[in-house]
Amino acid sequence: MAEDSEETGEQGMAKPSRRHVLMMGGAAASTVVTVRPALAQTAGSIMACEIPIPDPGRMGNYIAADGSVVPPGTPGAFPPPGRNLVGEEVRDALQGGGTIRGYGYEESQAYTNYIRRLQSGMSGFTCYASIQMSRG
Amino acid sequence: MIALDGVALIFHRPSGLTHIVAPPAPQILEALGEGDADPAALLDRLKRDYDFDDSEDLEAALEARLTELETSGLVWRA
Repeated sequence: MAEDSEETGEQGMAKPSRRHVLMMGGAAASTVVTVRPALAQTAGSIMACEIPIPDPGRMGNYIAADGSVVPPGTPGAFPPPGRNLVGEEVRDALQGGGTIRGYGYEESQAYTNYIRRLQSGMSGFTCYASIQMSRG
Repeated sequence: MIALDGVALIFHRPSGLTHIVAPPAPQILEALGEGDADPAALLDRLKRDYDFDDSEDLEAALEARLTELETSGLVWRA
């Protein structure tokens, strides 16, 4: 902050010559701009964003319990959900550890593990990142 | 509060809001940092540290600045 004044304990004396002149501004001049987080404004869209499982390039493959994408029919792996998962249900499953509606516990775990493995550039990553950042 | 060239940035962690404040707002906040004050006492503190343009209606201008800071949630009246 600009503070080039030199006075210390000189109240009542002649003002030092290098004191900073502060313009209080006219009544119309605004000096405060508040930037709201973009995420707060897009909270609705976060809840509505979708995550395809697996991403379109690997459609038809199964999802293993650890979230990895494996060939169809792999023992212990689950068929893909068959629909895109929506942000709100993904958030609830990630934060609450519960199931995704319409799927069993182990399937839900596999799907959420898949989502946790999403990386930048993969379908659904932006949605996942938004969900993570929206956590209170 | 992070001072940049000419302006300062204030990040309010709980709300995630970032306030960009230009003079005299940072100076007013700094003066308020010494303790609660009414506008008259606040102006006295500012006059102690800064010079002002004598042609300005300082009381009215300070009141306008305080209203802005109040609107942004950075200051409040007891």
